[in-house]
Amino acid sequence: MGRLLKAEWYKLTKDRSFRFLTWMLLIAAVLAPLVEFDNGAPGLPAVKDYYVESILGPHANILKLIPSILAGFFITSEYSMGTMKSMVSSGNNRISIYSAKLFVFSLGAILLSLILPIIMTGTSAVYFGFESMPEWSYYFQTIGLILLYAAAFASIMAVFSILFTDSGKTIGFLLMFFVFVDWPLQLLAVKVPSFEPVLSHSVFKLIYDISIVNEVSSTDKLFLYGIPVLTFVLLWGIGVSIFMRKEIK
Amino acid sequence: MDEYVLRTNGLSKKYQHTMALDKVSLRIKKGSIYGFIGQNGAGKSTLIRVITGLASPSQGSYELFGKVHEGEIIEARKRIGTIIEGPALYPQMTAVENLEAHRLLKGIPGKECIEKTLKMVGLQNTGKKKAKNFSLGMKQRLGLAIALLGDPEFLILDEPINGLDPMGVVEIRELLKKLNREYEITILISSHILSELHLLATHYGIIHKGKLIEQLSAKELQGKCQQYLHIKVDHPEKAATIIESQLSTREYEVMPDGIIKLFVSVDSPGKVSRILTDEGLVIEQFMPMGEDLETYFTNRIGGEKHGQAIESGMV
Repeated sequence: MGRLLKAEWYKLTKDRSFRFLTWMLLIAAVLAPLVEFDNGAPGLPAVKDYYVESILGPHANILKLIPSILAGFFITSEYSMGTMKSMVSSGNNRISIYSAKLFVFSLGAILLSLILPIIMTGTSAVYFGFESMPEWSYYFQTIGLILLYAAAFASIMAVFSILFTDSGKTIGFLLMFFVFVDWPLQLLAVKVPSFEPVLSHSVFKLIYDISIVNEVSSTDKLFLYGIPVLTFVLLWGIGVSIFMRKEIK
Repeated sequence: MDEYVLRTNGLSKKYQHTMALDKVSLRIKKGSIYGFIGQNGAGKSTLIRVITGLASPSQGSYELFGKVHEGEIIEARKRIGTIIEGPALYPQMTAVENLEAHRLLKGIPGKECIEKTLKMVGLQNTGKKKAKNFSLGMKQRLGLAIALLGDPEFLILDEPINGLDPMGVVEIRELLKKLNREYEITILISSHILSELHLLATHYGIIHKGKLIEQLSAKELQGKCQQYLHIKVDHPEKAATIIESQLSTREYEVMPDGIIKLFVSVDSPGKVSRILTDEGLVIEQFMPMGEDLETYFTNRIGGEKHGQAIESGMV
């Protein structure tokens, strides 16, 4: 397993899409706060407000959509390049192969997801001043949750990525899925009341509660932390089970 | 010591209504170069895919290095190198980076093997050129380098000389022969370039419509390929009459271009030439010849088309 992780990490660091997305987010993290200097509003925002409204606010979409692109290139392209064949025939069992792929992909998704909350908070503090920073406990809780949700969504992406053998199809499907999935789920919750608690306690809904982690009850906090972990474990199991049966083309 | 590197026992693979493999029982001896012959869709790649773990068999079993249980077979695959349906490369990486990724995957200690393997296939000077910019021949060589990484005992090569120029074909052939001779690497090679296989293989397996119709050694093939005397004279009709009368045989053919194929007295060409010259014929061409692998293969496959009992040849 160790050697598979090393091989996957090596491939991730050489992956052009990962490098491109990292640079794109880094540039966005440096440049985006500068908009506040020219938005017509009097004065500059406090960093803690900017963190909640401008960084955490839209971050759910970034966390779901940006790693979808990486999934297509990092996972599915192994099929189109034929390299999945050499992986499977290399004397490693499929559980280890899938697990290593998922773990390193999740790590990539986590790194991408953390760029804005960490770098953008830093640059906004430089631009707006260090006086009104977010509370450290709140900040670290949100960072921890972003990490967990990035891994949970990565596990969902990985399952779909092994179903397709074409990177373009994977990226297209995942982007469409994550853009539109909230609406049918909410509709289903309205039509089928028994489904409502399931949706409320799923990563699709809970991801929007990251910014209010300091306001939720301790029971809800347990769900907020526990559900992404359970999702990751469950989707890992589903992914392994699919990959074990899959014929590698 | 395992006498056989690979042994399949009634291996079958069914896709919906198609039998891609039908009770295939082949044997690959340690140290042999096994030429796997068949038309497109005959089942060559399917068999290779099953052995390498890309697909699971519908029926039957196989032994790899004498290992039969799934876990043991997976472990035994560490001792093989593969090219399956084309080289498996990361196009954005250089040759060295491609080998490094595979070195890590196989858990091979030390980076020295990368330079050594690249040198073996003649790709040591590709520098920062990415694999996507390689020619087809260079990609094949890199695929072979990946297969050779970690000194495998068994190479499984599916069409490894596709896209190589004539010099490249010769180099790869010599390399494979050297690997087989000096390192005792067993090789399973499938190719549609039968003339090339003929120069390389020590054993053959002929597969047709999912069935292994024959396995034979190069020596056996030589014995089975029909030998004849290729004769060109100034008067073929007269020569035919002389052959019939003096050699008391009708086992010959006069081709449309006047060439006579004589299937008897192949071991005594001097006697035949003397008979013809004694009768005043001028011999323009005279040489012993034999069917090659291509003709033999075509006859075997054609035989089935005409309903001949090729099953009798199964091993």
